[in-house]
Amino acid sequence: MADFLQDVQTELFLLRKRVSTWVVLAVWLVLAICFAYVFPYISYRSNGAEGGPAAGGGGTDLATLLPGQLVPTVIGGFAFYGGALALILGVLTFGSEFGWNTWKTLFTQRPGRMRIVFAKVAALGLGLLPFAIGVFVVGGVASLIIAGVEGASMSGPSPVSLAEAILAGWFTLAVWAAIGVMLAVITRGTSLAIGIGILYALVIEGTISVFGNSISWLKPIVEGFMRANAYSLVEPLGTSGNAENGGPGGFSGPFVDPLQAFVVLALYLVIFLGISVWLMRRRDIA
Amino acid sequence: MKLQPPMQAQPQPQLQPLRVTTAPERPAGLAPWPQHAVPVAGRRTEELVIQTTALTKAYGAIRAVDDLALNVRRGEVYGFLGPNGAGKTTTLRMLLGLIQPTSGEVRVLGAAPGTPHSLAQVGAMIETPAFYPFLSGEDNLRMLARYAGVPGHRIGAALEQVDLLGRAGDAFRTYSLGMKQRLGVAAALMKNPALLILDEPTNGLDPAGMAEMRTLIRDLGQGERTVLLSSHLMSEVEQISDRVGIISHGRLVAEGTVNDLRGADRLLIHADPVEAARDLLVELAGEAHLSRDGEMLAITDLDDLALNPAYVNLRLVTAGIAVHELRLERASLESVFLALTGAGHDGDQHAELEVLHG
Repeated sequence: MADFLQDVQTELFLLRKRVSTWVVLAVWLVLAICFAYVFPYISYRSNGAEGGPAAGGGGTDLATLLPGQLVPTVIGGFAFYGGALALILGVLTFGSEFGWNTWKTLFTQRPGRMRIVFAKVAALGLGLLPFAIGVFVVGGVASLIIAGVEGASMSGPSPVSLAEAILAGWFTLAVWAAIGVMLAVITRGTSLAIGIGILYALVIEGTISVFGNSISWLKPIVEGFMRANAYSLVEPLGTSGNAENGGPGGFSGPFVDPLQAFVVLALYLVIFLGISVWLMRRRDIA
Repeated sequence: MKLQPPMQAQPQPQLQPLRVTTAPERPAGLAPWPQHAVPVAGRRTEELVIQTTALTKAYGAIRAVDDLALNVRRGEVYGFLGPNGAGKTTTLRMLLGLIQPTSGEVRVLGAAPGTPHSLAQVGAMIETPAFYPFLSGEDNLRMLARYAGVPGHRIGAALEQVDLLGRAGDAFRTYSLGMKQRLGVAAALMKNPALLILDEPTNGLDPAGMAEMRTLIRDLGQGERTVLLSSHLMSEVEQISDRVGIISHGRLVAEGTVNDLRGADRLLIHADPVEAARDLLVELAGEAHLSRDGEMLAITDLDDLALNPAYVNLRLVTAGIAVHELRLERASLESVFLALTGAGHDGDQHAELEVLHG
């Protein structure tokens, strides 16, 4: 076990040293802060100038931008652009090893294939924690600033609620990262894997989900999507007005039971990683 | 059979001009002759470090490696020769567990390839060294050292051994091809492995770098360490290896020492009068070791006879025989290689193998 932990540390060192990890993290935080706070607040202020914030703020409810609504405001982004970025991180973590041809270097070291693959998966999972925590940190800072400027309440969410949100968000990112890992292993690279992954996440799941509530026979399909289950998982934590209005990160259903959503996502996680590990174990490293 | 250093003409002012040459495949720049060609007593054992039985790797109808029986003994430098596409790298990858054989068996250091037990004792560089481009050379080695369970102090030693300490802190992507090769060797050495597998280690190196690498590999092959060196460069293998295996179309077509493979040296003598020379040489070498090739007389098995060409020359001259030419003809490993691996020779390969093994 100690050896495996050292392997994980080694992979974390690699993840930390990669510029792409920090780029993806930065993009995630910038997108989250922009979609959750900056644009809604600008919208609130702009419409406020015409009709005044008191007149409705152009559809943006100031309450959603305050610390008290941190969880529902931020959590919506996990299943949307957060998932896409986690997918990219998963692809890069495994796919780049094919591009650099470094699998052969790693697999000729002492641990052997499987321990290295598992260490890489574990490191990727741990590497997603700063993504899940960081977005709540910057969201919290943004909401405090807004509350300060607006003279509103600065009371935040309960620690339990925040911890639940971080765990749910991390789990959502992990599932999306796992599909990225699988695509990278299947395609033995990054470009095609990212292309297919983004196409699936945004076009297939994103577009079809829009019709999930209006076309009855599509509903059960949509309920099986990662997107629907990810939103359903965090639905008890609340949804922001932005999400309900169908803005970025918004999802209007269909929703499933949160427990069912957890099980479905867990199955996805196991299947994606299972396929990846199976392929890595069996395949020749050319 | 011991290799001999290139001969120097004996000063014989009273005689006609004497031309003493060595075979053309051994240019002066390659001297001195390899030390390892004389096996170090007690270094090699009969214990097999690598053993493959009927090893086969097929890609559809194509057999990249076909029924390969490779036996590498502990402590030897084994040259694995073959033209491009012959199956060398595929074989090496199977030895490391990177590729699964279609059929056949492999044992590396007594274990299945790719297992921790096997990998812990193997240092390998397969084709172009692959490292993380954004990490420095030192960080790349540090990462591998953690995986390999190698103490950190070996990193600096390995870098020093390949003369890369000065650039150890630079990103791998800034390295020249030669530096990348050296880092690959350092990564392999860091584990202080019992078995070193090097695939085309001089690729991309300039002549000086190639010479340095050969010296390094030769040094590494001393003692108990076994080195499996894959290459398509004759001179490289010829100068370094104790034994050589030649692979063609996935099959081992020859195996033996360098001298075994290229055949016995011949001392060719052009002398006048030829009959007098012949009589004298029969006296020196015996009828069985003497043959006539046109105007030339040829003595074979010089080493077995403990005959020195200079001594032969001296005897001829002392007997009043004019020596026009005295030349040591060394059979070329390259010619053997081309004969075994070239087009149109496939049918003869197995007969040749039997002869060499016999």
